[in-house]
Amino acid sequence: MKPSWAGLLLLIAVIVVLALLPMLVNNYWLRIATGALMWAGLACSWNMLGGYAGYINFGHSAFFGLGAYVTALLMGDRLAWPFFATLPAGIVVTALFAIIIGAPTLRLRGAYFAIATWAFAEVLIQFASVMDFTGGIGGIGLPPFLDERFFYFAMFGAAALTYLITWALFERSRFGLKVKALRDHEPAAEAIGINTSLVKLQTFVLSAVTASVFGAIFAYWVTFINPKSVFGGDITDQMVVMVLLGGLGSLWGPALGGVALFVVNRIIWMYWGDTAFYIAILGAAIVLVVLFLPNGIAGLFSRRVAVSGAVLDKAVGNLVGGGPGRPS
Amino acid sequence: MDLFLQTLLNGLLIGGVIATFTIGFQLAFGVLHVIDFAVGGWVVLGGYLGYYMGVGLGVDGFLAIPVAFVLFGAIGYLIGPILYNVRNSRTARPELMALALTFGLFTLLRGGMLTAWGFNTHSVPTVLSGESLAVGPVTVPLIRVAAAVFAIAIAGGLFLFLYRTRYGLAIRATAENRQNAALMGVNIRRLSATVYGLYAGITAMAGVLMGAIFSVNPEVGLRYTLFAFFVAVLAGLGSVGGALVAALLLGVIEAFVATYIGSSYSLLAIFGTLFLVLLVSPHGILRHGL
Repeated sequence: MKPSWAGLLLLIAVIVVLALLPMLVNNYWLRIATGALMWAGLACSWNMLGGYAGYINFGHSAFFGLGAYVTALLMGDRLAWPFFATLPAGIVVTALFAIIIGAPTLRLRGAYFAIATWAFAEVLIQFASVMDFTGGIGGIGLPPFLDERFFYFAMFGAAALTYLITWALFERSRFGLKVKALRDHEPAAEAIGINTSLVKLQTFVLSAVTASVFGAIFAYWVTFINPKSVFGGDITDQMVVMVLLGGLGSLWGPALGGVALFVVNRIIWMYWGDTAFYIAILGAAIVLVVLFLPNGIAGLFSRRVAVSGAVLDKAVGNLVGGGPGRPS
Repeated sequence: MDLFLQTLLNGLLIGGVIATFTIGFQLAFGVLHVIDFAVGGWVVLGGYLGYYMGVGLGVDGFLAIPVAFVLFGAIGYLIGPILYNVRNSRTARPELMALALTFGLFTLLRGGMLTAWGFNTHSVPTVLSGESLAVGPVTVPLIRVAAAVFAIAIAGGLFLFLYRTRYGLAIRATAENRQNAALMGVNIRRLSATVYGLYAGITAMAGVLMGAIFSVNPEVGLRYTLFAFFVAVLAGLGSVGGALVAALLLGVIEAFVATYIGSSYSLLAIFGTLFLVLLVSPHGILRHGL
């Protein structure tokens, strides 16, 4: 993708508008904008592994929740850490967990990894619900800090950083090429000397760590968290829908999908409140996107046609002598 | 000691019912190469069918079992080809797309059921509910015995079908090597539809039984999906024979944790075991069997 002048201008315009937004709108809309930025960032963080590396993580809420809980526990009455000191702690804890989960399961085919991550998120819900130090099902409170602008800029900064990292690492570096190579054909990537296990693990840790930062800001923002609100499967569901809707493995797709779905979410919330119907809509959205829009919104604008899996398999299969067909 | 025997028996009986739908799950994976997140959704739908037939129409819950098979078998037969098309589509990552599709289907079922029927818990009424049988020091609820007998019958029927009919041979051949099976004249697309229908029907039947033994609400679907995953990981994805052993083991583990430690820890224990197995022996402990 060559950077076009129109695209660059659009990007600058978006950044300027986002930077000036707190002066333009009232607190209600600022909260909505903060949420939209958070989801755009989370979708991007999921997309690092799901889109670029081709490994679906059905438990991404685990890392969002870990970040939230680490911040909540450290800022609580007993320790009373300042907020910014909790961020590195959350990052370290999340990275450790990501390595523990990822190192054994990322060696396997994607299906086992999907199961393991999903199971991990459910374990954390159960664990946080039965343990005393996490406040059990009742959850845990944080010292309130009611400055909407602070949280807006915190989310804005985190989201901008996430997209910048994604752009630099996955679109503009050798690392990104390695990741895409292993996504498109893992045996071939290994054959040309890529340490696929390591690259996958690095991508997974990066994706987990960014999610945890959003979780930390989220916890401080809403000042109260419980197991369902930060580990819940619905959080992962939303990320999956956002990325699929926007376009798997594209840089701007998750932002489009994230903002679009978050607006739909708020509209439903305004008219019907917190409803189970939204879960059904999420499910239907996943099904419809998979069936009718497999390349997402970004796919509609991209002139490049996605390389067909079958053709790719055959071509690479001939090269590496593995025969056609992916190992499954 | 009595409590120990009681727990062991309970676990084995429940494990038998779990085995029925996990065998179907493994079969669907073997043929379609799709991990079906929706498995818990079919279990819950079966349970609700039993509940509404029992309470709404006033018939016995057991009568819902054949209805569940026909109804959800037909629905599965219609969904099967869609799944097959996505799995074999010409998009860049069909494996991922199929996984996302079943995940979406599961979410859709869960949300739809929550919207339609709410969070309340219901139980499927049967003639045997509340009755129990004393065998020496152990009392066994009759409904569990009936469910286990039923489960054994279903599993036995399925094995006969797989190993004693030409159609079963085609299914096994496809699971082993789909290209060669296709060359031998197996219509894989249609076979996939049948297998998914068979699996959805069997799973819904198991759901009626689960609804009669425990109870049913839209959120328990997660639990059954987890059960299926647990068994699949323990047995190795696609292994049908291993699924039987793994399901019994799961039933026993769950019963013992619930009795001796506390039922709020049973999911934690199952997840923990699942995770350890993935760490130690990622391709399953029991290996291939189809």
